Amino acid sequence: MDDAAQQVFNEGQARANAAYQAAKRNLTIDPITRLEGHGKIDIYLDPRGDVERAYLQVPELRGFEVFSLGRPAEDMPQITSRICGVCPTAHHMASTKALDALYQIEPTPAGRKIRELVYHTFMLEDHALHVFFLGGPDFIVGPEAPPAERNILGVIGKVGLEAGKKVIATRRRLRELIAYFGGKVVHPVLGQPGGVSKALKPEDLPRFQELAKDGLEFAEWTLQVFKQLVLGNPDYVKLITSDAYTHKTCYMGLVDAQNKVSFYDGQLRVVDCTGKEVCKFAPAQYRDFVAEHVEPWSYMKFTFLKQRGWQGFVEGPDTSIYSVAPLARLNAADGMATPRAQAAYAEFFQTLGGKPVHHTLANHWARVVEMLYAAERMVELVNDPEITSPEVRRIPTAVPAEGIGVVEAPRGTLFHHYQTDARGLITMANLIVATGNNAARIAMSVEKAAKGLIKGGHVTEGLLNRIEMAFRAYDPCLGCATHTLPGHTPLTVSIFNHHHQLVQQLVQH
Amino acid sequence: MPSPVLILGLGNDILSDDAVGLHIAHEARARLAGEPDIEVRATTEMGLALLDEIAGRKAVVLVDSVQTGRAPPGHLHEFGLGDLTQVLTTSPHFLGVRETLTLGNLLGLPMPRQVRILAIEVNDPFTLGTDLTPAVQQAVTAAVDRVIAQARELTSALEQTGAAVS
Repeated sequence: MDDAAQQVFNEGQARANAAYQAAKRNLTIDPITRLEGHGKIDIYLDPRGDVERAYLQVPELRGFEVFSLGRPAEDMPQITSRICGVCPTAHHMASTKALDALYQIEPTPAGRKIRELVYHTFMLEDHALHVFFLGGPDFIVGPEAPPAERNILGVIGKVGLEAGKKVIATRRRLRELIAYFGGKVVHPVLGQPGGVSKALKPEDLPRFQELAKDGLEFAEWTLQVFKQLVLGNPDYVKLITSDAYTHKTCYMGLVDAQNKVSFYDGQLRVVDCTGKEVCKFAPAQYRDFVAEHVEPWSYMKFTFLKQRGWQGFVEGPDTSIYSVAPLARLNAADGMATPRAQAAYAEFFQTLGGKPVHHTLANHWARVVEMLYAAERMVELVNDPEITSPEVRRIPTAVPAEGIGVVEAPRGTLFHHYQTDARGLITMANLIVATGNNAARIAMSVEKAAKGLIKGGHVTEGLLNRIEMAFRAYDPCLGCATHTLPGHTPLTVSIFNHHHQLVQQLVQH
Repeated sequence: MPSPVLILGLGNDILSDDAVGLHIAHEARARLAGEPDIEVRATTEMGLALLDEIAGRKAVVLVDSVQTGRAPPGHLHEFGLGDLTQVLTTSPHFLGVRETLTLGNLLGLPMPRQVRILAIEVNDPFTLGTDLTPAVQQAVTAAVDRVIAQARELTSALEQTGAAVS
């Protein structure tokens, strides 16, 4: 965005904020608490003691654009993958694709396939981590289990020690494949404009074929575990489909030419809350379809469908709020491109009452469906004769100017957008991360959970965990900005009465 | 066989003060060259990935940043595992150091018996950048001294235990 446009944008934003402040009471956020690195939810009650508004605050990552300016564009896949220790491969790949666009070059077929192999391996590994270790405590152990058991050890207690070993061992092997191509998982040096830096040696292929086969078996086993422990429990199914965790919004995801779910490439498709296609566009056109809304109470930018305009935090057929991540991808597509994932996809929608599914907690199941797809795609790729071709890169010759790259990160659609001078030095860098795409719906989920659990000033037992469950299903990357101890984002919920006096504070470390 | 004692620096190298654990590890590595019993590593990973780093060690010194807001930037906090229970184990969804150790033991991996944690109070772990803020930068040398002292203490304790066993 050039300076003049930015100025106009900022002025408009300031006016919108002023109007908002005038309409609502003045709400100030203590600047000190902003920096503590806490996930912070402020709940404001009305005179009857019911919830008027609930706000989720997360720490802000500062200075990305300034840090990037003047750096060679080729450094961006490394820099952006270092921002976040949670999904480095997603940033690396989106950035690499932005470089392809910047240098107007297509990767060689083998280069693209290696990227896809690494990417699907990463998706399988990351989803497995979430299913078993991050989301697992809620469902595999159970939302009502004592806190001392709702952890990874409780998960292993439930699935069995051998199964626990299987999860850890599979994850390690998947990470070894990523490291084979890119070096360290957190600092991959794989992607380059026009391809990748390393070919797959034919003599190493058998062990990756073995791994892909085992990965698929692992994904199938995960689906069985999920069905048995989660879907086999009527209370969980009731919870998943309960109104407290349901929002009728639009959904966005990458799809291939047949409108099947795609993680690495394709067009972005958006469907509304009835499942009807709202738009479908090439990632390079994203600015015509996606805009960002700013609220005075949050650092987060709330993305919305530009052509519908910002309608506020509302759901229904006319909403401009969309969500991303596994459930959204399944909703936005017509199916899965591989047979076993397709079968799981059909069962998912059949069980949950047809398309689209609006239950946030169904993200956990959707994640397992996607694990199958990732594993099946790995099997396809390692059995593709071209995967061991040494032709893994084309050297770019065009003069760079602008590039946009998009992938589906585990947590949803991830945009990288760069502009450079003719020497390829960054003059503008913008990211829209998955959690930004989901921010509006996450805010709605938190508020809805709070409204359901606080009535007449009475706070229902288990409020913290129920609210946390509402946003954990999206797997938001709240802690991605920093590794600072304690290494995760503690949750603080502050409840204020209608005089804005703090009446209760709940903390979950 | 990996070295029995590991100094492991944690952090993000492009998030200002968040990198302090990595800076300390790099300095400690330079000063410990020639001491084969102590290995120094730096990693930008966290959570479950720590399992791969610490499995097979007899003792570990973790070096990280911390933001308690109750000490001046540059202050050196020292924790033992006992202290960590309060900080980490109440989280059902994050794999802390203690859970990593318990998990490793449960899975039958050789896990360290001794774990010490040194954490430097930081000022700004949120801004992208490769420089530490001044107060944190000034604390690095003293922190390196302390980390090395801790690692050597653990090494000699191991040697004594080893001698007693044999």
